[in-house]
Amino acid sequence: MAAMTRPAGAAGTGARNPGGSGDSGGLLRNTWLQALAAVAVLVAGYWAARLLGNPAWAGSFPTNAGDSFMAWLDGVYAWIVANRNDSPLFLYFFNYISVGLGSAVVLINQFLDFLTWAGVTVLGVLAAWRIAGWRVALLVLAAFGVFALTGLWNESMTTLSLIITSVFMALLFGIPMGVLAGRSERFYRGIRPVLDFMQIMPAFAYLLPFVLLFGIGNPAAAVVTAVYAFPPVVRITALGIREVNKGAIEATTSLGSTPWQILTKVQLPLAKRTILLGVNQTIMLAVSMVVIASVIGAGGLGDAIYQALSKINVGQAFQAGLAIVMLAIAMDRVTGAVGHGAHTPRIRESRRMPLLAGGLALVILVTAVGRLLDLGGWPRELSVRLDIPINAADDAIQATIGGATAALGEWTQSEILSPLNHLLTGSPWWLVVLVAAALGGIFSGWRTALVSAVSFVAIGLLGVWSNAMDTLSQVLVATVLTIALGVVIGVLMSRSDVFAAILRPVLDFMQTLPPFVYLIPAVALLGLGPVPALAAAVIFALPPVIRLVNDGIRGVPAGTIEAAVSQGSTRWQLLTKVELPMAVGSLRLAVNQGIILVLSMVVMGALVGAGALGNDVVLGLAQNELGLGIASGLAIVFLGLFLDRVTQGRRAPRA
Amino acid sequence: MSTQATEAAPPQGSPDVTFSVRNLWKIFGRNADSVIGTDLERADRDLIKERTGCTVAVRDVSFDVRPGEIFVVMGLSGSGKSTLIRCLTRLIEPTSGSVLLDGEDIEEAGDQRLRELRRHKIAMVFQHFGLLPNRKIIDNVAYGLEVRGMSRAERHARAMEMIDMVGLSGYENARPGELSGGMQQRVGLARALAVDPQVLLFDEPFSALDPLIRRDMQNEVVRLQRELNKTAVFITHDLQEALKLGDRIAIMRDGELVQVGTPEEVVGRPANAYVADFTSDVARTTVLTARWLVRDPFPDERTDGPTTEPGTVLAQILPMLAASTAPVRVVEGDTLLGYVGRDDVLRAIAEDQLEGADQVAAIEEETVEEISDEATDHAGPAPAGDGG
Repeated sequence: MAAMTRPAGAAGTGARNPGGSGDSGGLLRNTWLQALAAVAVLVAGYWAARLLGNPAWAGSFPTNAGDSFMAWLDGVYAWIVANRNDSPLFLYFFNYISVGLGSAVVLINQFLDFLTWAGVTVLGVLAAWRIAGWRVALLVLAAFGVFALTGLWNESMTTLSLIITSVFMALLFGIPMGVLAGRSERFYRGIRPVLDFMQIMPAFAYLLPFVLLFGIGNPAAAVVTAVYAFPPVVRITALGIREVNKGAIEATTSLGSTPWQILTKVQLPLAKRTILLGVNQTIMLAVSMVVIASVIGAGGLGDAIYQALSKINVGQAFQAGLAIVMLAIAMDRVTGAVGHGAHTPRIRESRRMPLLAGGLALVILVTAVGRLLDLGGWPRELSVRLDIPINAADDAIQATIGGATAALGEWTQSEILSPLNHLLTGSPWWLVVLVAAALGGIFSGWRTALVSAVSFVAIGLLGVWSNAMDTLSQVLVATVLTIALGVVIGVLMSRSDVFAAILRPVLDFMQTLPPFVYLIPAVALLGLGPVPALAAAVIFALPPVIRLVNDGIRGVPAGTIEAAVSQGSTRWQLLTKVELPMAVGSLRLAVNQGIILVLSMVVMGALVGAGALGNDVVLGLAQNELGLGIASGLAIVFLGLFLDRVTQGRRAPRA
Repeated sequence: MSTQATEAAPPQGSPDVTFSVRNLWKIFGRNADSVIGTDLERADRDLIKERTGCTVAVRDVSFDVRPGEIFVVMGLSGSGKSTLIRCLTRLIEPTSGSVLLDGEDIEEAGDQRLRELRRHKIAMVFQHFGLLPNRKIIDNVAYGLEVRGMSRAERHARAMEMIDMVGLSGYENARPGELSGGMQQRVGLARALAVDPQVLLFDEPFSALDPLIRRDMQNEVVRLQRELNKTAVFITHDLQEALKLGDRIAIMRDGELVQVGTPEEVVGRPANAYVADFTSDVARTTVLTARWLVRDPFPDERTDGPTTEPGTVLAQILPMLAASTAPVRVVEGDTLLGYVGRDDVLRAIAEDQLEGADQVAAIEEETVEEISDEATDHAGPAPAGDGG
């Protein structure tokens, strides 16, 4: 779920080009030839620069502009630190928000503590049963069990409090904005590009500006989570309001409803389910962001993973990862059920109030007993220590295949990543900008060429050219792998209904996971460095790519396939001449989504030693060099913009 | 269409007119003002579309609806009839013209006043029902009362009455999705009736229903109309429906009214070839009545034939004439209106076989004796330039 939301923005543009299937054969070949020529020019430029002895005018982007920009940002940050308690802007605005949010998180946390572990569990399980039926209630019970037995009860409650606070904020602003966007075409048109842009921005790029305003800690984490999570609820609320049957609106208008009555009696009730699906997506994004926000001081489970990863304690990271996974799945199943209501128990209206009262009474009773027994959070001593056996197992794995993975990592690094990185950083910077612009123009038209050139120049001006090129080469390698694997698996999935039936729940599960936890098995198997980050990125980006390839191929009309078979196509011919070309829209969308997801994961890979831009973000925080961190964050945004636009393809010409 | 239909209407605002529509225009598009009042005003719709990009949906329409009558507007799809009815309650804002309801110009009303009118005086029934799927039937029916601010108990009582009236008792707690199309439209009807409006507007209410259910619903409308004595404007593309329900029928084409009249007038005296063509499939014996054919007695005619009421259709008069050589006497109450003889009925039926209004007009000049000969001569299209 979490992973599916981000590229929703691109979904519209990919689908807009269905007519391209007929003539794309010739065009495609042409396009790829052109792209190849552009890359050849870059390689030639690289060698030319080397032969000339790398003169200054043909090297990396000069860093003076970037250096002064970072110095200026550092100055701003120093000023903020010095004046946080004097400047009216902070005194009367940001600090209030900061304190308010901090207290909200603390209050919710205290309330959960007050309920004791017993009260929280009863409340959670009963609520889950009422909303989503007994299966989901059992799942919630299992989640609480994992929180308790991993000894991470208190961390889980902190994470839950953060999620509640930030989701509340996201909905507080998101739903009214969505309603407005649903009712006003102009507002919708104004806000849509902003939402599109927010959804391609990697989570890591959001972090630092909020530190600037709110300092490090839970308030900044709550705000960044809310901001990151709110686009889907706006978008989907707007969609829900727009989809309300025009006939119902006309009929109620004809009976003399005021605009407010139309909204409250017709549009909102009829759009309720759609809006709740948006809420579900927002919650899932919040779950994934609240973990990442541990980098800027959010407490809880994310922090536990963060600490464990930085100590390379795979066992501890695994435990916390398990708790996060259970939290994410439970949240998804409960809030998802609100949307489609499939398993909500049917209870007669007359019994609803007594049931609610009974449930509340039970929660109060359990809480009272819990308080009498002086329970609090689940005691840490009563936990099952999974980390020791896991660490042992990990050591064993490392002992057997460690050599092989290290060699693989070494080889990937020296034979693929480094040469690519050298090509990008060793060529004259203006040639790289030109080639990027050319690729943008070749794949997506002159507008994208312009955006590409501007993005690359901006990256250079930010002073992080070489790190950005490092990140870009990691993204390119991981994307090629993702697409190759995704197309193969997607094609296999489309061939076999059995395989598809097995794979689909796996993909669902993978898409529910917060991206952060993908790093844990990668580190366990591959150690530290760029290679585990790449592996995590590939695994993270695979599910939507597989899904899109499969959907695209299965979406080819049966009549077309019948016609091709009747003319004597082999299965291979059917695939290469009919199905894949007709699924070109889905394939393009798969590349677009894949590359954006890969980017977001690659920069997060800094936490396991992938270096490059992501590392600057972390470093900027750790060493109080906010200038470097923010500049790197902006560079990530520009990189994302470039990658998104280039892979969006040409839009269908407007009629 | 140069033959804009006109009728001898009473002046606007007179007490025996409920709805009075004058020079109503609706033009979709940005440059609507560049059409009305210019040379383009009379131009062809396609030409206007080409010149200005505007689509003329309703063009200079005027008519009156009398209290208690069912006024049917009939036309094919794209003729502007649905736009026209929406202009009457301003679900679509007209481009120009006036709509008077009891002498009050609806087009002049402010938002507040317009809502008042919609809540109390005009209610509409829609082709696709427009019910709220999340509400129970009773709350759908009570919606108009709810937005007025009526208390829950009161509006539910009233809604129950309406549900009984349309024959849906027992379904008040169902949701619209659980009902068939015909039942859903009964809900739509009950919802409109619940606010006790002075005027009911029907926008092709039965077009989405099966033929059998459609007939039931038509009978239902006729019954409720008699019981409640509401004024109604009824849009349809089905001529049979128009003839069955309409006290008067307006035929619409390309946004204009081509003819306004009683069913008999429309069938018996089509205003032009379009209407004649339209009504050519109608069996006249089921539409034309004794009143339509009644005449003074010929000098030496027998006056002892059977009697009938003026509303009797020809199909019912035929057997009487077959049984008697004397013409039928048409009597309304105690008054003798006149006579209808075999020749009259024969002529009316013969006209039925002809095509086009021109022949009809021509034949009406001929003497009764020549009818049968003429009919065969004029049956086909005029042989233009034969042998040439």
